[in-house]
This record gives sequence, C-alpha cells and structure tokens, in this order.
Amino acid sequence: MKVLLSTLAVLGVSGALCAQTLTDGIMMPRKDLCTGFVYEHDRWSEYWEGTLKRDNRNIGSLTTRSVVWMGTYGVTDKINVIAMLPYVSTSASQGVLHGMKGVQDLTLAVKYEALTRPLGSGSLKLFAVGSVALPLSNYTPDFYPMSIGSSSRRASARLTLSYTARHGFFANGSGAYTGRANVTLDRSAYYTDGRLYYSDEVAMPNVIDYTFSVGYRRSGLVAPFSFTQQHTLGGGDIRRQDMPFVSNRMNASRVDAGVLYYVPKVQNLALKLGATRTLTGRNVGQATTLQAGLMYTFHFGGPRS
Amino acid sequence: MKRSWLAGSLLSLLALGAIRCTNDIPTSSLPGGAGASGPGGPVGARLGRPDTNAGTWRMIVLTSANQVPVPAPSAVTSAEYRAEIATITAAQAGLTKEQQAKIDYWSTGGVLRWNEILRELVARYNLPPAPRDGAYPVPDATNPFADPQFPFANPPYAARAYSYVSVAQYEALKAAWFYKYEYRRAAPSAVDASVKALAPTGDVPAYPSEDAVMSGVAEIVLRALFPAAVDEIDSKAAEQREAALWSGRAAPSDIAAGHALGRAVAPLVMARAGSDGMRNAGGNATLWQALADGAAAKGQTPWKSLETPPRPPMLPFFGNVRGWNLTPEDFVRERPPAPPSTSSEQMRQEVAEVKNTVENLTREQLAIAYKWSDGAGTYAPPGHWNQIAADYVVGAGYSDVRTARLFALVNMAMHDAAVGCWEAKYYYFNPRPSQMDAGIKTPIGLPNFPSYTSGHSTFSAAAASVLSYAFPSRTAELDAMKDEAGLSRLYGGIHYMSDINAGKDHGRRIGGYTVEFARRDGAD
Repeated sequence: MKVLLSTLAVLGVSGALCAQTLTDGIMMPRKDLCTGFVYEHDRWSEYWEGTLKRDNRNIGSLTTRSVVWMGTYGVTDKINVIAMLPYVSTSASQGVLHGMKGVQDLTLAVKYEALTRPLGSGSLKLFAVGSVALPLSNYTPDFYPMSIGSSSRRASARLTLSYTARHGFFANGSGAYTGRANVTLDRSAYYTDGRLYYSDEVAMPNVIDYTFSVGYRRSGLVAPFSFTQQHTLGGGDIRRQDMPFVSNRMNASRVDAGVLYYVPKVQNLALKLGATRTLTGRNVGQATTLQAGLMYTFHFGGPRS
Repeated sequence: MKRSWLAGSLLSLLALGAIRCTNDIPTSSLPGGAGASGPGGPVGARLGRPDTNAGTWRMIVLTSANQVPVPAPSAVTSAEYRAEIATITAAQAGLTKEQQAKIDYWSTGGVLRWNEILRELVARYNLPPAPRDGAYPVPDATNPFADPQFPFANPPYAARAYSYVSVAQYEALKAAWFYKYEYRRAAPSAVDASVKALAPTGDVPAYPSEDAVMSGVAEIVLRALFPAAVDEIDSKAAEQREAALWSGRAAPSDIAAGHALGRAVAPLVMARAGSDGMRNAGGNATLWQALADGAAAKGQTPWKSLETPPRPPMLPFFGNVRGWNLTPEDFVRERPPAPPSTSSEQMRQEVAEVKNTVENLTREQLAIAYKWSDGAGTYAPPGHWNQIAADYVVGAGYSDVRTARLFALVNMAMHDAAVGCWEAKYYYFNPRPSQMDAGIKTPIGLPNFPSYTSGHSTFSAAAASVLSYAFPSRTAELDAMKDEAGLSRLYGGIHYMSDINAGKDHGRRIGGYTVEFARRDGAD
C-alpha cells in the first residue's frame, strides 16, 4: 500500500526533475544543476487485499505527505547525475493506528545518453540509467500501511527510448529491472506467502516496471502524459483481514499527467505540477497523488541564452 | 564517449552488486533438516536420559498410564518380526534423498516438530473475521474453509490449543513409556545388525513407537482444532510414521501399536476439551451489553470496541473455561485487585504516561514493541513463549517424553494465564488508553478486548515461571524477557503500567500452580 510512495520507492523514480526524470528523454547540459523541492500529497481510501478491492474503516483514507529534494547535474552533455531524497509522513483518517514519519531513501542515479539518431523530422535517442536507493534512516518496514517505505536497498537498470518530433511532440518508452535487498524486521518470526519464517530477515522480490509517455515540450514548457505498469516478481498476497506486509506482491498500473513551466520573467525558475492516479493494483491502495514543486537551474558553465 | 558508456554500465553493475538478495530464509528454528531451509546442525546430541520411569509420572487427564491397553508384542525371534525386519532393510536399501530428508526432519524430535507445526497453524489462522454488511460473521467449525475461516486462532484460542496438543501428546507418551518398559522390545536397529540406525533412539525400547503415538495424537487433536488443515496434518502424521520405519527406529508393529495408542488417548483428552466451556466463551449481544452495564453500574467507564464497525469483544466468557491447575475458586481468589477507577487521578496520570511514551518513543522502544507485538497473523503470545521453550529444549538432552512434559507444563500455565487474565479483563471491563484519550494512536495493532490486565504480561510471567523452574540457571534471562514483553505493551500504546504490573504478578501466581504440579509429578 502506500501507493505512490512505495511504488516510487520501489522504482527509485519520483516525478520530473526540472525536465528530467529517470524515465524521460531529456538531459541537463554540462555544468548545469537543476535542483528544488517537490511536495507530494498521496491519498487512498480503497485498496486491494490481494486482488480483492475493499475499504477499511479502521484506516479511512490513508494520506502520505512527502517533501522531496531533487537535483540533477550535467557532468557532460551526455552524462547526468541525479539525486533525490524524500521526507515522508503518513496518517490514517480513522482508527487508532499511529502515523510514521522520517527521512526515507536516497536515490542516486547516473543517466547516460547512449545513442542519438535523426529520424524523420525529429530525433531518436537511447538512454541508459543505473540507480541505487539507500534508506537513510532506521525506519521500520513492519507497519504497513503506515510505514514510510520498504527500507530495502535497491539497484535498478533502465533503458529508455525517446523520439522527439521537430514541433516538440515526443513519445517515450522506458523499462527497468530493480533488484531489492533483504530487509530486517524487529521480530524473529513472521508469516507471509503461506509460510512461517523463523528469521528477522525478509527476502524482497524484485520488480520490473515499464512506462509509456507522450507529450509536448518546447522552450519553457514540458507536458507529459504517461502510463506506468509495475510488476513485483514474487511475494505473497495480503490475507483476508490481515495487515499488508513489506514483501507482498505489490503491482500497480497508473496514469500520470504533469507540467513543468518556466516562470516568465524569473530566469531559471520552473514550476512543477503533477497528478497520478492508480488504475488497477494488487496489495496496494488505489491512490491519487498530487504534486507541486519549484525547481531552479544553476548554470555553472556560464550564463546561457 | 566509449569511456562514459563504460563508466555508466560499471556504476549500474556496482549498484546491483551492492545489494544482497537471498531467498534462503529459514522456515524452522530447529536443528536437523527442515528440508533445504533449516539452519542445519548436529542432532545426535539430543536424547539424553531415557526416562525409564516416565510411565509412573503423574497423569493429567488419564486415570493411569495403562488406562488404554496395549497388547504384548511378538518376540523379536518370531517369524512375523523377522518379516518386519526384512521390510525395513528393503526400505533402507532404496532410500531416496527425499526420504532421508524426512528422516532428518523428524529426528530433531517429534514433540518439537509438532510444536513448530502448531505454531505455523496458529499464525495461519490468527486472523479476525472481516466485516460484512456492517457486522462480523462468526467463524463456523462445521464450515472451516469459508470466509471467515475457522478458527480465529486469537490468543485465548491459541493458548488453549497449545495446551490441548501438548497435554494429549504428553499423556500418550507417558502411556507409551509405560508399555515400552513393560515389554522392553528394542528398536529394530538394535535388534538386527542389518538395520541401520539412521536416527537416534536414545536406547528407548521401540514398542509402541513414540513417533507413531504422536502422529496418532496429532491426527485427532490438531484436526479438531484446525479442521481446515486436515490434509496437511494427516500427511505430516503419515510422514512421521514412515520416517520412524525408514530410520530403523521402529518396526511396522511398533508403529501400528503406537498409532493405535495415540488415537485412543487423544479422544480421552479431547472429551475434556468438549466440555471445558469453550463453546460458550463467545457469548451473545445480550451478555456483552450486561458486561458494559455492569461496569457502568460500578461507576466505571465501560470498555468499548474502537473498531469500525464495533467488533464484539474477543471471547468475553473465556474466563469461565476450565483451567488445568486452577479450580474456578482458585481463579476467583487469584483475581487481581481492581484497577484504578476510570475517574481517578491515578488513571489520568497513567493515560498521560501512555500518551507521553508513545509520542516520545525511541527507536529501541519501538523495536521492543514490534519484537513482542505477536498480533494478528502471528503465532500469538503463547506461540512466542513456545518458541522460547523450543530454543531451550534444543540441546538440553531431553527425551521425547520429557520434552512433551515441558511443553505440557508451559502450555498448561499459559492456558491458565489466559483463563485468569480473561476472567479479570471481563470482570473489570476496563477501557484501553485510546478510549480514554482519543489522541493516543498506537504503533502496533490495538487488541479488541478490555485493558486490565495485560495478557502479554500474564502469559509471559506464567511461562517464565515454569521455564525458570525447568531451567533455573536461566531465571535472570527469563525475568528480563518477561519484563520486556510487559513493557512492550506500554511502548505499543495499548496498556497502562498498572495493567502490566498486575498482569505480571497475576501470571507469576498462576504459573506457580503449574510449578507446584510439576514438583510433585514424579519426573524430577
């Protein structure tokens, strides 16, 4: 559950960075740093208990608020380094479960523009992205849906193919495989996926995801619309009336619309807005996420027109 | 450009290498072959003293160890027995890897294995019914596969289940020991050199087979308690008998006699279960209201369910269920004194203490709350203490019958703790901290029954007192665990300190009754 956040945490993806995400087809030029903060408000009141969609009046609606710091730096025109770090807090509107909060996982990524080919009126590009996510605080993953994340160290390999037409319309396809390290609980036995395990260690199934997006961009504006599917390659379902568990098979499909708008008259400042809705899922909440942030670009290589 | 590509791929590879993903998480805490996933280790050290006089140890439900007759076996020189030896040697000659793994699994000790299986069953069935149309359907023993599944193996249900399985096993094993030393027919591996000893026998005579006794008990007792798991129980029971034969521990006639004995003793114990009051422990809406009215009449704020929709209280009349070592009068006499009045200054302070603790929890305190949470979907607090008992027994050099005795003692004490604690909970019907102050949110699940006294504290103190009797050198460690288990409920925001202190004291006194039984049962 913890829809967007766990998904984001799983994928190591979190919205657009200036004009860059791990999944898009845009690079920061050499010696440019784009950085800023994004506020996310994620909320669900129904979730899938395994494949059964239900509500739970002892949770009501579950809200996850996060403030995410993001930064992307152009090492070269073709190599970008991306970092992000969220501070997350959760709360339930009903029932007695205590919310949790804290610094979550640091994502570090290298994005490489591997190939550029002119095609028709535009150009086709291939990107390779390697990323790691490292939990920075000792939060517990044993209190889903209130936990702020899975606390699993993760590593991802991603390929993105992006086509941009001359007039600014673009289309992307991106897919990634994410390996997830075992996580540690504060108890020495737990039941999941039909077995009682005698360990504080939980094996985390790996994850694949793919995203298709289309949109429009020109100087000062980027507006993508995308569809994302996440599949967890293993893990048990939430049992009837059980609490969710960190290694559950969490699947989700989502649509996402966003806009990055460079504020006129304030040079280098961009406003970032986004909305995401979960369409289908398994062992996750059906979340709606709203996002708003400000991103600023520094040109260490000297001013640009 | 080539170089940067290389750098990029290298970084992703490093990233992937930095994490460890192993699926080799153990599904057993016991040594000796839990298939591929056990911790492994030597098992030859188990089985110290054979406890030759266990047939004289005091019975609990049966009137005597030979209440169920077991006919004399044929002589080891007889043609029938020679044919049985031939069956074993033939089986051993063609032993597969899977069969060897099953021998290793059961050679850890049947009592420990069945206890482990029971813990897994409790964890599987420890889920409350989901609401339907604004109410909660009641699990139905005659329709166990439905939604809700039967049973809801909540803490009192589990405490009682652990005790009946352990007591039935212990009674049947004492009976087996009686006949073993009555007839003194050795294990096939000791009778005939052509039979290999693939599992330790501890020099205990083989007739009737203790492994088969346990399998027969499990078939009846576990099946009655967890009817939806019947196939799995039967298949484990059959496997235990096969392993006894393949390992050279028992001949077919040892196994047949043991199986029959186990299947004959178990119903005698389950007859007690059938009339122990459990069937009335749930009550009905009129009786639940009377509990609330009773507390209100005493000027107290009555407990109420904080779930939505409100869930009926968990087994409110479990306090009337028959105990093992306390009479109904004993339970009343040992009932803890009244909790602080819900309108008292002390109560106000204790509520504030809970809130202050939860809002200022350290990470270590939170870890303690989770370590002992033992809530829905777990083997429950009595299961946690069975796990601790199992850890102590491994390597203690206990015979099977002595191991069964330890689990019977621990689980009788915890069943009595459940009865006593539930009696107090519903006698006082005291509200939880989150009811007294809606601002108290809990970092673990809030149990759906009254607060005073703390079940964890009562279970833990009762179990710790029995384990301290059996393992006196570990008393300090057990005391520390008991105290930590109690405090975990304050850290979890679900109990006041007075619940915890009264529960620990109550549990210690209740455990004392079982310790008194143990001191006089002829086993020391």
